[in-house]
Amino acid sequence: MTEFLAFTITGIVTGAVYAVAASGLVVTYTTSGIFNFAHGAMGMLMAFLYWQLRVHFHWAAPFALIAVLFVIAPLFGALIERVLMRNVRGSDTGTSLMVTLGLLLFLIGLGLTWWKQTEPRAMPEFFAGNTVRIFSVNVSWHELISIAVAGAVAILLRLILFRTRTGIAMRAVVDDRDLTALNGGRPSRVSALSWSLGTMLAAIAGILLAPKLGLSVLNLTFLVISAYAAAIVGQLKSLPLTFAGALALGLGEAYAVGYLPTSGFLSHIKPSLPMLFLFAVLLFLPQVRLRVGRLVGTRTPRIPGWREVGVVGAALVVGTWIVASAISGPDLASFGQGLAFGIIMLSLVLLAGYGGQTSLCQMTFVGIGAVVASYVSHGSSPIGVLAAAGAAGVVGAVISLPALRLTGLYLALSTLAFAVLADNLFFLQVFGGGGGKVFHRLSLLGVSFDGQVAYTVLLSVVFVLMGAFVLAIRRGPFGRLLAAMKDSPAACATLGLNLTRTKVGVFALSAAMAGVGGAFFGGLGGSISSNNFVYVQSLVVLLMVTIGGILTVSGAWLGGMLLGPGFYIISKNVSIENITFLGAGLGAMTIARSPNGIVGQISGAFDRFRKQPAREDDVADVELTQEVESIVAPVG
Amino acid sequence: MSLLSVEEVSVRFGGVMALQDVELTADPGRVTGLIGPNGAGKTTLFNVITGLQDPTSGRVRIEDQDVSGLKAHQRARMGLARTFQRLEVFGSLTARENVLVAAEIRRRWSKDGSNPKEVAETVLERVGITSSANERVDAMPTGLARLVELARALAANPRLLLLDEPGSGLDTQETEAFGDLLLELAQEGLAILLVEHDVELVMRVCELIHVLDFGKKIAEGPPSKIKADPRVQAAYLGADEDAAPEEEVVPS
Repeated sequence: MTEFLAFTITGIVTGAVYAVAASGLVVTYTTSGIFNFAHGAMGMLMAFLYWQLRVHFHWAAPFALIAVLFVIAPLFGALIERVLMRNVRGSDTGTSLMVTLGLLLFLIGLGLTWWKQTEPRAMPEFFAGNTVRIFSVNVSWHELISIAVAGAVAILLRLILFRTRTGIAMRAVVDDRDLTALNGGRPSRVSALSWSLGTMLAAIAGILLAPKLGLSVLNLTFLVISAYAAAIVGQLKSLPLTFAGALALGLGEAYAVGYLPTSGFLSHIKPSLPMLFLFAVLLFLPQVRLRVGRLVGTRTPRIPGWREVGVVGAALVVGTWIVASAISGPDLASFGQGLAFGIIMLSLVLLAGYGGQTSLCQMTFVGIGAVVASYVSHGSSPIGVLAAAGAAGVVGAVISLPALRLTGLYLALSTLAFAVLADNLFFLQVFGGGGGKVFHRLSLLGVSFDGQVAYTVLLSVVFVLMGAFVLAIRRGPFGRLLAAMKDSPAACATLGLNLTRTKVGVFALSAAMAGVGGAFFGGLGGSISSNNFVYVQSLVVLLMVTIGGILTVSGAWLGGMLLGPGFYIISKNVSIENITFLGAGLGAMTIARSPNGIVGQISGAFDRFRKQPAREDDVADVELTQEVESIVAPVG
Repeated sequence: MSLLSVEEVSVRFGGVMALQDVELTADPGRVTGLIGPNGAGKTTLFNVITGLQDPTSGRVRIEDQDVSGLKAHQRARMGLARTFQRLEVFGSLTARENVLVAAEIRRRWSKDGSNPKEVAETVLERVGITSSANERVDAMPTGLARLVELARALAANPRLLLLDEPGSGLDTQETEAFGDLLLELAQEGLAILLVEHDVELVMRVCELIHVLDFGKKIAEGPPSKIKADPRVQAAYLGADEDAAPEEEVVPS
């Protein structure tokens, strides 16, 4: 009984902190319409700042707390709102997703750079050593404070939102932003306030959790998945339900620690519980209604003709051959890596660029592909590539099913949860904690591509073939269907299209492509390890293809090149640590608003230079039966 | 047995009854009108019929089958097609591609072996937009984009066509031709349910008209009867007899 009580109290404490974090998420989401994926990273940063003041500079706890909670956190939140989020508002979910993910990666990069994870750090509890005895269980003051803080937050939020002018203005902004402005309200000031408030709540959660969780940048950042899960229980709207969800999750975790076996498969359930919880909640959410009444027409890049594809493809392979022969060592390795990433990014061009869906777990599919290919003859046979595609495709179909009934945000959340879940339950098992797996390079019809140059050229050939495959889809009925579905899902449904099945299909196809990418990614370094596929890598890959240009095959190539050789060259010349996180994060925050990344910017500039959007005689020459896409848009 | 029967459908949005016990039928071979002032619930009723909005209570039947539990795409496969008051065109595609997608979707579920490209050309021709077929739809004037939606709906080869203010944005001549097309389609056996503010057009093409006001059906009958109905006049002109007519005819 004592044991049960002890676990219950631990659970309530954890749940209380989750509730604080989750309520911050809800406050910013409801007032600005932006789901802040960087919420946890902000909490992480604030916890580290608190540590810096409290432990490193030896400030007294009250001063450090006041500085972080009432000065730094609100200012930081307001700054983020002013600089980043204000520009994003009103744009599609995809853009705000990229900006907050960019911020997330950037803050992780900052955290890792400023507080090197190799140094041990400990966060002191509040009033460490003091305990109270409640029914034969020792409860620390820190734990009691956590519960009290959550209670205070609940009451204060209720009072602020329902009793103060500002709170009422906040709720008015949620209901109708423009109308609030017309009535003399100031929506932008209100959302700056809500971001300040959200950041404060994230900071409180981070500081309370750090003593128990340890000062780890990644762990603290992703504690927030638990907050996501709790916030989803309240459907990102209801604070009471969010608190209930947080409590249920905290208790579940505590009991899992207490009563599940400490070894074997089940022992991994505990760190995965928030993700499993999130999946379960998503299963029970009501299906969203299809929205009607929006006219969407994104500027779509021109689709190159087959001759152009052939010429550019051949040039790419020959160019790769020439460059690969000229360089060696790490330079060549980074070049190959860039191409492999390009192949992986093609799967995102299909899924996100054409299909308008998001996946935050693409590197997980890559990992599944690589593992399967390595089981089949260590990756050296073409059957391994096929098996990789099949396995990743099937997993993709299964995990996308529950979320695809819902909106894009939920798909992003559940794929993120799946990525973390796969880290804990799959990759750590397969690789046995840090160990690598041998991976041979492909041999095809008796030809081995073992040499570094040969393998690099092979990667370029694979990129060209997969790029042509993606373009073939775009040109055909399925590509047309994807464009239609992106513009108006409701119209597609009323024409008899089963939206869910189509979305699952494209998600599975994209996952299978990522699996193929994995089979080739594995051959790069001769071995694979769980680090290659850790969840943040998926974010990096998604952001880099967005920066390159997610609507086009050329954007995938550029994204790969930036991520591989691009960052390699920068880090060789400038001494910046964590360049991948910082660069991808910064780049995504900068470019997320232009729909097709750098490629879009370049072709846009090129068009303005030519000043001749589309030649009329070209249009007239097109036969009726010919593919009409070639005259869709004048983007080069 | 009517092709479409709406039975005692009510929809509540919070404290507002958007529809209250609405009954309505539509039959093959004729254009059925659905009119009423703005906010009367016409579009909501369309959403209920096509499966985009769950009713709070009531049923929708297609022939003798209760389709209330079916999803939008399942109802479409039973022969329902519609246009939208606020356009839902595929903006990034051309008019031809818009129609082609519809024909391709239909071929996929009906497996009727039709040639989507032929279907698309026939429908474009019929609606009279072949000359604009290669234009992107998001750059089109509203009236033309509405015709694209009509063509797209026809490409699904429906038995029941629901048109939500298809005539707004058309000029007098175009409206005339549009009315002819509706009559022609009805003659071929299509059931058409028409929401339209252009009273002249409605009176010309509809055999039967239902009138909604504040979510309730206030009248039903042939055009001559509807024109003379005092409740309909009150609904359109307001309770005050001296009030200026509002919204009864949207200038075309």
